[in-house]
Amino acid sequence: MNCIALLGQPNSGKSTVFNQLTGSRQHVGNWPGKTVEKNDGTYSYNNETYTVVDLPGSYGLSGNSDEEIITEKFIKSGEADLVCILVDASQLERSMYMLADFASMDAPAILILNMMDVAKTQGKTINDRKLSERLGIPVLPFTAADGKGFEGLKKLIAEEIKKPHKLITAPEIASKEAGDNNGSEKLLSEGTAKFTWISTILEGLTNKAGKDYKVSGFDRIMLKPFWGKVMTVLIILAGFLAAMLIMSPFMSVAGMLPKLLGGPIAGFLNGLNVHPWLVSVFSLLIPNTLYFCISMSAFVFGVNIAFGFLEEIGFLARAAYQFDGALSKLGLQGKAVAPILMGMGCTIGGASGTRVMDSWGQKMLTMMVVWAVPCASIWSVMPVISSMFFPVWGTALVCIGIIAYIFVLMFIVSRVFGNKLVPEDARTGMIMELPPYHKAHWRYIIKEAWIKCFDMFKRAIRTVTLVSLIFWGFSFSPSGNVESSLLYRIGTFIEPVTKFFGMSWRTFMAFISAAFAKEAVLGTLNAVFAGQSNVADVAFNASGGGIDKLALSQIMSQTISGAEALAFMFACTFSVPCLMALSTTYRESHSLKWTAKTAGFYIGAALVLSCIVYHIAAPFLG
Amino acid sequence: MKLSEMKADGHGTVRSLGKDERFLKRITSIGLTEGAGFQVVKNDRKMPVLVYVRETLLALNRKDCEKIEVTEVKG
Repeated sequence: MNCIALLGQPNSGKSTVFNQLTGSRQHVGNWPGKTVEKNDGTYSYNNETYTVVDLPGSYGLSGNSDEEIITEKFIKSGEADLVCILVDASQLERSMYMLADFASMDAPAILILNMMDVAKTQGKTINDRKLSERLGIPVLPFTAADGKGFEGLKKLIAEEIKKPHKLITAPEIASKEAGDNNGSEKLLSEGTAKFTWISTILEGLTNKAGKDYKVSGFDRIMLKPFWGKVMTVLIILAGFLAAMLIMSPFMSVAGMLPKLLGGPIAGFLNGLNVHPWLVSVFSLLIPNTLYFCISMSAFVFGVNIAFGFLEEIGFLARAAYQFDGALSKLGLQGKAVAPILMGMGCTIGGASGTRVMDSWGQKMLTMMVVWAVPCASIWSVMPVISSMFFPVWGTALVCIGIIAYIFVLMFIVSRVFGNKLVPEDARTGMIMELPPYHKAHWRYIIKEAWIKCFDMFKRAIRTVTLVSLIFWGFSFSPSGNVESSLLYRIGTFIEPVTKFFGMSWRTFMAFISAAFAKEAVLGTLNAVFAGQSNVADVAFNASGGGIDKLALSQIMSQTISGAEALAFMFACTFSVPCLMALSTTYRESHSLKWTAKTAGFYIGAALVLSCIVYHIAAPFLG
Repeated sequence: MKLSEMKADGHGTVRSLGKDERFLKRITSIGLTEGAGFQVVKNDRKMPVLVYVRETLLALNRKDCEKIEVTEVKG
């Protein structure tokens, strides 16, 4: 079996190479005993199979983070027949640091000079032949994102596995046996030695760009303290608009599924005299689940295309620069800005966007903070409910209240979990490169977004079907009337407890369904209040279509008080965002414990919030 | 003087990066070493400092920049 490993700093385009090489033949798992994600995949070339291991991203190999230890061990184990080291050709000197770190490893390697297209537009040239002679290993000029040149890379890998080369030079590092392995003196001298080595190697092989850096056109606004922030917000909003445009055709097609499939399936099964219970599963539950999963995946697709583009062109790095100050107050750093902004569209997208964070702790904390950001679906539901109880200005106040509480909740989360996840002494501020703006590689962005969206769809189908079956079982009522369902019996039984938190059994049931999917809230409310339809039939029907909002509004405002409605809205908005956000958080964190902690905290905090809101509002709103 | 006190467009060399090992590893790996020459591109209040070093534009957290001692180079 041929095994190659990919090594490179973040931003070297390592994941691009990995994805382009392996396509969909990827496997995601954990490195043994760690919360570090292990990505491997395969491809075949000339009838031989090659395994590609994407080594966990880090800046060097001499660190003691889990990622760096794993990477070092893996290379030393000799499991890989060849290590492909990726460097950014447009910032060659700096990114060669990884190679300098690798030099002590004594393993077969090739050097890939990625992002040659960017280097070229900057007028930089690199004498790759001479570089290869000096290093003793092959050097390949490359542009991963345009998808060309992969045949050449595969050919080179095949040749090198048969006849490997090792580095013939290494930085001169003072003896390693010295007692303290990590003294700051030693680190400093090693760092200097590595960069001296790099300069010697590159001497005369590159034409350096001009000595001074000039802030270019767009950056003159983007890097301004005030206008830069304004621009960031405007561009992000435009990004969401684009995401909506991308997803809308998918959603409208998928929206026809329940109607198109439901009737014929029901007719067919009824003709076969199947039990009505099963007819309902196949004709209502399954088409609705399908619709729900497709529209959710379409949303993830749209958000990922928009943010993939903003990342590629170098915009998100500027946004991180703008918000580093604000985010460091939460124990985070500037890089967390992208996931948090993505969360405004979709929590699932935001949670998977936390990959850019430097450490596991920061990643987990960012995910927890992202949960506090209400997603677009919440905003499509809450104003509707609010307007059933309050006048326009009241609804505006509710929205302002929700926005204000986002910041309160983020602050609470960072206080409660910040020190555990990112201890004070482990907090490193932002150290980030601002890449030059460059053109987007659309094919690559679409491909990446598609991989994410398809992965999400597969998980959604499994999880949502299972959970909706359970929910359906609880809420199925043979008579069609909600009072003969199991849900009703449980709901009314625990009502004395939920009442304390400000919610009657009806609103509490809708609160529970909101943790599955925010789109389900209106449908559930309609079922439990109007009682016209089965809870099961509407709960996972993302459209909320067919609901007579006027009738629902009349019944609801007669049945529950304004205070309860207010408490319910806050509780729903700040509870578990949705089932797939939960699943994605687990997938990204690889920690069941922390996923459960996050969910537990949010449910608890939502109930406490509901309780407080209800008891404060009750004297005024009755 | 401290890196955080440098003016925009000023040039300098790094004199000391402090003793925090975690920070040292990180800052070295991205190209800032003792003796390295750099240009300050932007240094606005309450914002990270933008530094151009080894052909790379870096954004460095403001607090971290207070730990970095530099020598200004006129020219």
